[in-house]
Amino acid sequence: MSTSHHVFSRRIALLCCLVITAECSLSSALRAQEAGDSTTAGIAYFEKHVRPLLVERCYECHSGRSSRTEGGLALDNPASWLKGGDSGSTIVPGDPESSLLIRAVRHSSPDLQMPPKEKLSEDEIQHLVNWVQLGAPAPEEDPASTVPHPSDPVAGKSHWAFQPLLEVKVPDVRNVDWARSDIDRFVLARLEQQSLTPVEDASPADLIRRITMVITGLPPSPEHLVQYQSQPTTETLSRIVDELLASPQFGQRWGRHWLDLARYADSNGLDENFLFREAWRYRNWVIDAINADMPYDRFLLEQLAGDLLPYESIEQRDRQRIAAGFLVVGPKVLLGVNPDRQKMDVADEQIETVGRVVLGQTLGCARCHDHKFDPVPARDYYALAGIFTSTRVMEQRFMLNEQRVMERLEGLGPDGNVVDDAYETFYRELPNLRAHGEKSKAVLDLLKQKNEQAIAERLAQDGDGFCDQARDSSIPIDQRIEAQEKYHAAQIEKLTKPPGIPPRAMIPCEADAIHDEAIRKSGKFDRLGDVVPRGFLTVLLDGEPKPLPEKQSGRIELAQWLTNTQTRSGALAARVQANRIWYHVMGRGLVRTVDNFGRTGEAPSHPELLDHLATLMIRENWSLKAMIRHLVLSRTFALSSQSNLTNSAVDPDNALLWRANRRRLDAESLRDAMLQAAGVLEPEPVDSTVAYLGDQATAVGNNAVRRRTDYNFRSVYLPVIRNDLPELFEVFDFANPHFATGARPQTNVPTQGLFLLNDAMVMTAARTTAHRIIDESRDTSLDRRINRMFELILSKTPDEEERRTIAAFLEQTAYRLNEAGDPEPELTALARACHALFVSSRFLFLE
Amino acid sequence: MRCYDFHKATTRRSLLRSSACGFAGLSLAAIANTPAIANTAAAESNARIAHAAAKAKRVIFLFMWGGPSHVDLFDYKPRLNEFAGRAVTPEAYGGKQPPGGTILGSPFKFRQHGDGGVWISELFPQVSRHADRMCVIRSMHTDGSAHGEALLNLHTGTSSLVRPSVGAWVSYGLGSESENLPAFITISPPRGHGGVQNYGCAFLPAMHQGMAIGAAEIPVAKAKISNLTNPEMDRSAQRQQLDLIQSLNHKHLRTAEADAGIEGLIASYELAFRMQSSIPAIMNLSDETLETQALYGIADGPTDNFGRQCLLARKFAEQGVRYIQVSTDYTWDHHQKNNEGLVKECAQVDRPIAGLLTDLERRGMLDDTLVIWGSEFGRTPTAENTDGRNHHPSAFTMWMAGGGVKGGFTYGSTDDFGFHPAENPVHMHDFHATVLHALGLDHKQLTYRYAGRDFRLTDIYGDVQTELFG
Repeated sequence: MSTSHHVFSRRIALLCCLVITAECSLSSALRAQEAGDSTTAGIAYFEKHVRPLLVERCYECHSGRSSRTEGGLALDNPASWLKGGDSGSTIVPGDPESSLLIRAVRHSSPDLQMPPKEKLSEDEIQHLVNWVQLGAPAPEEDPASTVPHPSDPVAGKSHWAFQPLLEVKVPDVRNVDWARSDIDRFVLARLEQQSLTPVEDASPADLIRRITMVITGLPPSPEHLVQYQSQPTTETLSRIVDELLASPQFGQRWGRHWLDLARYADSNGLDENFLFREAWRYRNWVIDAINADMPYDRFLLEQLAGDLLPYESIEQRDRQRIAAGFLVVGPKVLLGVNPDRQKMDVADEQIETVGRVVLGQTLGCARCHDHKFDPVPARDYYALAGIFTSTRVMEQRFMLNEQRVMERLEGLGPDGNVVDDAYETFYRELPNLRAHGEKSKAVLDLLKQKNEQAIAERLAQDGDGFCDQARDSSIPIDQRIEAQEKYHAAQIEKLTKPPGIPPRAMIPCEADAIHDEAIRKSGKFDRLGDVVPRGFLTVLLDGEPKPLPEKQSGRIELAQWLTNTQTRSGALAARVQANRIWYHVMGRGLVRTVDNFGRTGEAPSHPELLDHLATLMIRENWSLKAMIRHLVLSRTFALSSQSNLTNSAVDPDNALLWRANRRRLDAESLRDAMLQAAGVLEPEPVDSTVAYLGDQATAVGNNAVRRRTDYNFRSVYLPVIRNDLPELFEVFDFANPHFATGARPQTNVPTQGLFLLNDAMVMTAARTTAHRIIDESRDTSLDRRINRMFELILSKTPDEEERRTIAAFLEQTAYRLNEAGDPEPELTALARACHALFVSSRFLFLE
Repeated sequence: MRCYDFHKATTRRSLLRSSACGFAGLSLAAIANTPAIANTAAAESNARIAHAAAKAKRVIFLFMWGGPSHVDLFDYKPRLNEFAGRAVTPEAYGGKQPPGGTILGSPFKFRQHGDGGVWISELFPQVSRHADRMCVIRSMHTDGSAHGEALLNLHTGTSSLVRPSVGAWVSYGLGSESENLPAFITISPPRGHGGVQNYGCAFLPAMHQGMAIGAAEIPVAKAKISNLTNPEMDRSAQRQQLDLIQSLNHKHLRTAEADAGIEGLIASYELAFRMQSSIPAIMNLSDETLETQALYGIADGPTDNFGRQCLLARKFAEQGVRYIQVSTDYTWDHHQKNNEGLVKECAQVDRPIAGLLTDLERRGMLDDTLVIWGSEFGRTPTAENTDGRNHHPSAFTMWMAGGGVKGGFTYGSTDDFGFHPAENPVHMHDFHATVLHALGLDHKQLTYRYAGRDFRLTDIYGDVQTELFG
């Protein structure tokens, strides 16, 4: 790695700063000098105490290598510091007191204080003084200067992830019968290199449970179980896979994977947790798009620029706009923020999300400085920032009795915006309407007194609240009263019949002024640097960048560039996406750090296979379903999860894929599988599940209405309230919806045990399952019940030992319950056994 | 944030998964000390446990939600009354332009207390008796003039990003001393203004998340930890069911050849089962003497609720919990009727806080327990709505006691009116650095690798205020 030296020296730098003390080091240096080895000792002193300091505390602003030389000063080598910057020579060798450097670090004069933010420690200053005193020795030719900075985008092209896709030849394997597909040949070739043999295939029951869970997030239907167990052939499997991929449950599963990345939520989170009342439309768009197998490039284009795309019908326009809600659904600090800071924060959130999700890059690091590890200079960050700050995702809206800056909404349907405007206007005008209603009542009361003089006085004072006829003294008073009564009634009518919330969605639009963004020094919104033309990441560009349109933000071009298969960006996006699919199917990525393909991420375990998959996916028009089909029908996928000592001695982490990865069900599958076993799961799509909540999704003080979870539809539709997730999600490692998550954490904490052992949802599902088992047949034998329990909950048949254990438990428990006067001892005992199966490792883990 | 040194990401998580049989020992320190796995832990994170000289082993943070007025409680400003009802003049403000607005005087009498002469207002008569254990920082300042922003800054060090809370960092750095309790417990936490984020673990492993007991608006006597009891089965029935579950699990484990995930699951069920009895036992206050209960003001009207919270905090502290937060309800936001509000709120917490300090002291726990009192910000020296005060993040007071800090000590000051720090300003980042320091954790070394970067509580900021330590 070309940057290793540099990084290494920085690490040393940090270490040195931590452990040294000035006094002992100087004396040793001086002793060395007395010994006549002055140059070497001086340079050693520089290397040990001074270079680390310069690297750590000065180079961010004063290095020729970091593209920043503030005040014209670089401190890279003797030539540069002797030459100095705008204020003249920095160092007078041998004379610390006359050296600008020393004056600056001592903060002795108010106009020259370096580093500006945090003064060096006394020890550190003393090191610099000593070093200047020694004559500022340093190696003549600074070897580090030939090493490019990590953020150098040209040198950075050599990183594996930024290479064009390799044309890979499918490797030859010795065990030709084992492999079913090219994927298997890539895997097997690596295993054979290490003299490893893949384990046996999984049992039909395990495989069908695994495949159904992976594709739909649900346990297999008893029909599929029977079909495959009675005829375990690839043809049967292939047909079942096609059925599963075509079922709407597929989108409910794989849509959720994308929603993790899209940091989808039904509320803002952060400081003010306002409800995202319309976010569900975006959620359902994702599920629909995945079910329709929308090609990934189109899928991204609509989410990044759906509001800018041409359309043939209002429905299509609205669908595309809703897709672009991807940009709006992020969390934002809403109160007490400077608007300029808010603008940069919002753009930052979008850049970080898009960078991580599509390219596996940590672009947010380049907001305050050139990226420390990856080839992303701050210029590139601000080139992207211009695209996003030229896009508007916030607007002024009237909510909770105030004009606020909120997420942007737009009406749907042919006259959506007219209806939406009327709605907003009504609430903005509500205080005036109320006041006017009160006035018209007062006028009515006055008229009823029939005192012309008083009426005239009132009219002279304030005519507001009178209807036209009521003003006219030539009309008989009773008619005037009647007219005013009608008028007043109309006012009240307006008040009591507020317009309903119109159909609308979270939709971005172009900003009023399309503009290029200025670099913000140290990431501070108000410290402007050079303006950078809007554009993309230099490291992924070959040749001159094309300028973006003057009158549009450039989001369309951004989306097209991201998935342009002729460029490095498209190759990277394809690798990232192929790896994400692999991760969800196989339980572990070929690149384990699925969100980080940068230098701090891991390299792929099978680089050729990854490029093969990316190429395959592009050739098949970025189809998600086709890719999943390839993977689940591979021999590699069908392996058993059994470990063996020979293989695990060589490859304990199973990086080479000699067996399947055993994995735990996630929160959604856990719940959905329980409801399915109980026979109560409602698999149909649903719309909003937060409509009953107030504008504060979680509020301060008396907030009686809280998100509900007592539904029977699939978990993907449960409310995702940031900072108030359903407890099941909170406990079982749901993706934190504040940021894009490609791989959820997997923890094992006792709160999970408490949830499974005691939660009402689990207990109810168990009891309902028991009811179902008892009610569906007249056969009251324990054998049938136990078989059915296993089939419904574990998708398998119990072995003799399990049958005996459960039977004993059922009999003993029913006996005790009966003794204790339980009205339905058999049912309750069966419910407890079902509950036990829900809590067992067989249920929680996917073999 | 020191972005410099980095390592290849390795999964510390797999390690934790396999060892999740209890809370105890699951600290970074404990893991790093196990030679076989030290490399993994060190590779995942750069955290190191620093100096051993630290006195504090745990923290009890008493959080006054809403922002009590510093100038009425701990930061004595006699000139407020001189200017009451009018604006401060530049002459009175050292020739500089003072902040606008009309000064609201303070009717409360201040007095110096103890040998250290700490200024405390008459609203805290009981707390005042502990003046010589208190280390009062009058020059606090923070970011965020809205509650949500300021709460997140107080609890997590930032408001614009989701980051682990102080308690989660402490749990990560020190682990729990208890087999049966997590290292971080928050009693009656706010649901709003960041809610769980204020005791969340963000990207740290889930075990470092604060365990919530109740919520701010619920009297703690009625608070529950969710799913701690089974609604249908008694203990013996549940044990029988658990025996069935574990026999199925062991059978699975035998065929799965020592799978760490299944092993961890088996262990965590046993722990969960134990917690069902151990936690209620701790939360049951009736095993405390009546004298102790009275000390905290329990069963005495206004002080009952906060008294219970403080006593619970002490009990958790005794059990080895590292970081315990106690929160009031959202009651200190005195935009109107500041004086009446303060009288009422102080009366609810004064005796419980004093009781907690006394109790810790006489049990010999105050020396190694850092008690912190404070809020998300202070309030303006100027009036709002004629008799209230507005949010004021630019200067306010927090105080600490025990845990190795100097007692009877006042640090920093504000200008004559309490608008801005005048000497030794202490930013929230500095405060966080100082709290970690008190626990023996170096805020620059306590880092966690996430998304390719090392993160820390204080980001790139924070100076330890070493003057606060004896």
